[in-house]
Amino acid sequence: MSTSKEGGRVALACLVAWLLPGAGHWLLGRRAKAVVFLALVVATFATGLMMQGRVYIANPEQPLTYLATFANVALGPMDLIGRRMFYERIIYAFPSESDPDLYQEIVKLNRNKILAVTHEYGSTFVLAAGLMNILLILDVFDIGIGRKR
Amino acid sequence: MGGVSHFLILCWFSVLVGAFFGTLTRSTFREGFKVGALIALLMVGVSLIIAYVMFFLPLGG
Repeated sequence: MSTSKEGGRVALACLVAWLLPGAGHWLLGRRAKAVVFLALVVATFATGLMMQGRVYIANPEQPLTYLATFANVALGPMDLIGRRMFYERIIYAFPSESDPDLYQEIVKLNRNKILAVTHEYGSTFVLAAGLMNILLILDVFDIGIGRKR
Repeated sequence: MGGVSHFLILCWFSVLVGAFFGTLTRSTFREGFKVGALIALLMVGVSLIIAYVMFFLPLGG
């Protein structure tokens, strides 16, 4: 009974860590670290967006975009803000050519952003923010099950 | 963004990543600060060394 209760607490901590960077650490009592993590991940993500960084969408023609999209999605709801800013909609998969209007619009939006000098740097910041949050979720899991003190 | 400084972007990225790993891997502020500063300095230093070496490579352009 207590084991399942403990498992539920760890799962909840991991979930809130995904929803808001640092929130999992806050839930487990590491409040100072939680605030630092939130500030760092938000600063990294915001810097990326300000630099016209790309939020990736999965494109079957470029398999690595699946990994990049996963890293972006790891940011939780913040990722939605990025998608809204970059694509003006919430979209996760590159549209097929069977939908020519949407296809052209996404290609055009991509081209416009790519022209920015800081686009590649920005994309790296956005990806780094997502990867940071994956590490935070794993850290919360390790703390939750007692593997890390 | 007018007048982009690639070096400042590198420094800012290094500070963020250094601070993140310093906080993640150490339990006290003092230890975390040391590790974070070391990571940030190494990132900037190694990047400058790689950039210097690449300057001599015939990469075109």
